[in-house]
Amino acid sequence: MDKKTVMIVDDSSLARMMVRKIFSTRFKEWHLVEAKDGTEALTLEDSSLRLALIDFNMPGMNGLELSEKLLAKHPDLSVYLVTANIQERMHQRAESMGIGFIKKPIAENKIVDILQAFV
Amino acid sequence: MFCLSEMEEDALKEFFNMGLGMAAASLSEMVNNEVLLSLPQLKVVPYEEATKMLVVNQEEKLVAIRQNFTGELTGTALLIFPGAESLELVRTLLNERMPLAVLMELEQETLLDVGNVVLNAFLESFTQMMSIQFEFEAAEFLKGSSSFLLDVSSHLAAQKNSMMAAATGDDERAFVLMMDFKTNDEEAKQHTLSGFMVLLFSQYSMEILKRELKTILATF
Repeated sequence: MDKKTVMIVDDSSLARMMVRKIFSTRFKEWHLVEAKDGTEALTLEDSSLRLALIDFNMPGMNGLELSEKLLAKHPDLSVYLVTANIQERMHQRAESMGIGFIKKPIAENKIVDILQAFV
Repeated sequence: MFCLSEMEEDALKEFFNMGLGMAAASLSEMVNNEVLLSLPQLKVVPYEEATKMLVVNQEEKLVAIRQNFTGELTGTALLIFPGAESLELVRTLLNERMPLAVLMELEQETLLDVGNVVLNAFLESFTQMMSIQFEFEAAEFLKGSSSFLLDVSSHLAAQKNSMMAAATGDDERAFVLMMDFKTNDEEAKQHTLSGFMVLLFSQYSMEILKRELKTILATF
């Protein structure tokens, strides 16, 4: 079976470490790539990319702007904004683009729920 | 000289980011407008330098809601608005065209309510990954210059356990975490509102916070 790739984009090392720990202990079948901002994320794309977990408040482009660029290239990509800052207007914009939300701090059970769709 | 490692600083910024994210979501509901956040700035500086981080005229009177917290971690959270902005916030919240005199009368009470909701959301989220226990004191309304608002010693003196704070031999070095925010002014009818969130810690509390960060980071 082909390995699926998940991309984590967050300017915080701690936030990336938290997600990395969850995937490396529970979901080893996933290949994980990390980026600290949108610019770096756009250089890391690969054809096996299935899921992107993206922080909202980052230097350069924000999470929604990056999501838009990634979805233009990968229309089937599952994208989730990972943030504590879930405001109504942001929610509406994300929803219209088919983007989901995960509330920070990220926890294993939230990842489990999302990965159900890939089983 | 107190300093944080790169990872400790990163973790602290992330906690601050989460805290203000929650606070922004609460504020956004209250003003019915999107609240945009800057990236967090983190500095360990004497308070004179901290005052310069507030990019406003030193002479301008600022309005702040202060939330002191005491316990294992002792410090001060401030939600700061330039004076004119605070009245704009009151006007937005009350959603009515009111004479200036009435707005000024309601300013303190309204901002205390706002501060309570926003600062509690902030502090709860800021500390949710920590094992530190602390209690909130009642929120207070303050008016003054940036140097007055960022003076750690005056905040410590106002705390219930000021004896403990005094006993720690704190110098005037402040641990300042700061983010600014503004409402999205896409709709012309809405007034832009902006302000700052600041966390001030004594040097004694900074050491406790550093220890806590080490413990958290060791789990990864």
